[in-house]
Amino acid sequence: MAAFVIRRILWGIVTLVAVIFVTFLLFRIFPGADPVTLLAGKGATPERERFIRQELGLNHSWIVQFWLYLKGIVLHGNLGFSFFTERPVLGEITAALPATVSLTVGAAVLWFVIGIPVGILSAIRRGSIWDRAAMTVSLTFVSMPVFWFALILIYLFAKSLGLVSFLPGPGSYVGLTADPVHWFTSLILPWLVLALTQAAIYSRLLRGSLLDAMGEDYIRTARAKGLRERTVIMKHGVRSAITPVLTVFGIDLGGLLGGAVITEKIFSIHGVGLLNITAIGNSDFPVIQGTTVLAAAFVVIANIVVDILYAYVDPRVRVQ
Amino acid sequence: MRLRRSATAIAAAGFLTLAVAACGSSSSGGSSGSSATVKLPLKAGENAASESITGGKQGGTLQVLSSEGFQHLDPGSSYFAIDYGAVYVTQRPLFVFMPNSQTELSPDLAKEIPTASNGGITNGGKTVTIHIQPNVKYAPPVNRTVTSQDVAYAIERMADPNVGNGYWTSYFANAIVGAAKAKGGPISGIQTPNPTTLVIHLTGTVANTVIQALSLPGSAPVPKSVVAPLDKHAPTNFGVTQLTATGPYMIQGEDKANSIASGYTAGKSLTLVRNPNWSASTYTGPYKPPAYLNQINISIGGDPSVIGPQVLKGKNMVEYDTPTHATVQEAYQRYPSQITFTTGAGDHYMTLNNSKPPFNNVNIRRAVYANLNRDAIIKEKGGVLTGEPGTHFVYPGTAGFDQAGGYPGPNYPWNAHTSGDLAVAKQYMKKAGYPSGKYTGNGTVTVVASNNGQDELAINQIVKQDLTQLGFKVNLAQVDQSVMYTKCQNPKQEVDACPDGGWLRDFNDPFSILYPTLSSAAITPTVTNNFGLVKNATLDSMMQKAHTEVDPTKAAQLWGQADRYAVNQAVSVPEDFDNQPNAFASNVKWVGDLWNEGSVNFAYTSLK
Repeated sequence: MAAFVIRRILWGIVTLVAVIFVTFLLFRIFPGADPVTLLAGKGATPERERFIRQELGLNHSWIVQFWLYLKGIVLHGNLGFSFFTERPVLGEITAALPATVSLTVGAAVLWFVIGIPVGILSAIRRGSIWDRAAMTVSLTFVSMPVFWFALILIYLFAKSLGLVSFLPGPGSYVGLTADPVHWFTSLILPWLVLALTQAAIYSRLLRGSLLDAMGEDYIRTARAKGLRERTVIMKHGVRSAITPVLTVFGIDLGGLLGGAVITEKIFSIHGVGLLNITAIGNSDFPVIQGTTVLAAAFVVIANIVVDILYAYVDPRVRVQ
Repeated sequence: MRLRRSATAIAAAGFLTLAVAACGSSSSGGSSGSSATVKLPLKAGENAASESITGGKQGGTLQVLSSEGFQHLDPGSSYFAIDYGAVYVTQRPLFVFMPNSQTELSPDLAKEIPTASNGGITNGGKTVTIHIQPNVKYAPPVNRTVTSQDVAYAIERMADPNVGNGYWTSYFANAIVGAAKAKGGPISGIQTPNPTTLVIHLTGTVANTVIQALSLPGSAPVPKSVVAPLDKHAPTNFGVTQLTATGPYMIQGEDKANSIASGYTAGKSLTLVRNPNWSASTYTGPYKPPAYLNQINISIGGDPSVIGPQVLKGKNMVEYDTPTHATVQEAYQRYPSQITFTTGAGDHYMTLNNSKPPFNNVNIRRAVYANLNRDAIIKEKGGVLTGEPGTHFVYPGTAGFDQAGGYPGPNYPWNAHTSGDLAVAKQYMKKAGYPSGKYTGNGTVTVVASNNGQDELAINQIVKQDLTQLGFKVNLAQVDQSVMYTKCQNPKQEVDACPDGGWLRDFNDPFSILYPTLSSAAITPTVTNNFGLVKNATLDSMMQKAHTEVDPTKAAQLWGQADRYAVNQAVSVPEDFDNQPNAFASNVKWVGDLWNEGSVNFAYTSLK
């Protein structure tokens, strides 16, 4: 097991370096706009442009630039400075991260709590009214664009804007430590937006996977041994069926920790996603680059964790 | 040119073509235009020019919602419409434009506007003497009285690369004696004979432009003892970690431990509170900020499509961004007293590369000018409320606008029909040597255009279609707006045309509109705002003559002539004169700065 974990971590590091390299190429070597012109502004003198070029290290060859960038990240956690605010990118990301973690983890708990039981019930009561209703509702949520669903919830429930206004709306988010109660209530609508659409996907995914698993020989064997149906489903069926769900969960959680862009923007939650979309609007390449690297890191880490869980759930993975 | 506010909604806002366009364009509506005149089909209360700057109620907290954040709060670096709202109430530049005027300059920190008659302009317009208010104090913890040395230092530090001022080169570097090679240290042309007097020696008779440029935030005094150590950092940390206010408001917490950390989080929020050291008695001009509000809370982030409805239905709120088309439509139809439209909020035009074929031929340029459907472009931008067809380059609310022909513009055949005139266009193609009236030369015309938003994409198609009608093979590259600007700014890219480039003046001087965009002096090898690479000796000479004219009336006349000549040469094609909408809650007594796109003025706005 230890060798498996070390192997996965090493591959994760290689993947991360590759992602950093690609984002570096995209934003430093092949940027659509010249970063110096963007930073210097329209009335800049050639002297100021030279100064900025030197400050950004753009006077070096691109290989040296990449090495310096990589070294800055690994040794100093230095992701550069924002073109727009001229603050350290790492500081901007660190400040934004708690809001994104609050949003994502809370939503993930919610979509797991909703999606997994609904998927199991739909599978074991296949063809029933419950199954049909659950799958119809989930199909509806899956089909809804996030920004549209968010606006609908705001116009229905948000204070000052909603028809039945009782929940804090856009711009109401506060940090957990500042006011725990308000933190919780301000996140209800954003959590619902993320969780309901994701829960729908997970319930459909688990239903299909569990239906397949329940048709396997080992399920028949378990029943023949006289095990209780509940044990057969939960210990043998769900344990096997949950592995693809875990894989998707890792990717989703990692991706959202890198920034739930639309939800954060619409609810004015100052997380990594809002930081990223603002940076895109400002052509703030260092911040875009930093948030991209962060998102990649989360996806890689989440996948390593999921792979380890996967190996725990399914011993065949360790052997491979 | 400072950065203008934008409004990019993630949620797709419904495209709006205001039905009122049917009321007719105002392009035939006279030639006043010296201020934000009533030329639009506005409902009661919608015309920003009618705003009252008196009679507000003291007290209360204003909530400001903005999807965009501040770029710089340091007055030396600030050069963004969004920044100005906060900077002008926390700082006191020498001069300031009245909020309800695009042309009236008032003393702020200065005691009076220097003129030849009051002895402020001497030496034939080459020396400016400014007396400052004697009892203005910095906010805590600095607390001391402002001196003319502080103003001199503020002006000098604009040349410091770490400060990175965006207009130093345009207005001061070549105008002030000894400033050309300055890097933040003392400048020989700036002297302070006593603590309340500042003398500026100029290289030419450009006093009028320099005085107006001193209304920009960079002339606001800053204490060297606080700022100099922060300026050593590249870029400066002044405005990032510390700030020192002189205006009616300061950033919450800047009085404690000399840090703005508690009142400002970049990209998140800014809280302005009253400056305890500010006194309303330290003003001698018409600009006397009443500072009605106790506090201003600015929330940054969020989506404009959500912010707009929040503000229209909420209380104590203003929208700091440009409202989306959907918000403008909703406000116009349901909340007409909660939206204003400010004319003279910049312009847009299509540049043509004057330095190479095919657009180095004046008759081909005139043909393109004649055929561009400016009315259709206005329609794509949201209709007559949000813009009017451009007919020349100096836009409404600026000296020289009337002299150049007002809204109808100079009377040339290629400028007569804002909906495009193919017949006229073909005549000029024939004069250019194409008997069929269509271009039959070799090669493809490269057009680099912005793809930011449905309206830009539609405008690009209008441009492409109108060029194709004249026989040009068009290679249309639609890219992000920032990419478009960097490509069009770089002469080496040899772009043939750049549609919908925007320009926003810095102050009421046509110099800040025409000179950076149309003079040959503005062309540098790597970056230029003269996208069309216009090198016209006659135009250069006309602009230079206008720039050095001391008499403002004569100067306006000369700028009008230069503007007319630019249209005569069809150096670029004007598309529209912009109108800027601004939205606010029903209980807000709104006062916007007409000279700054009508943006909210926190020192004059109050709650009902």
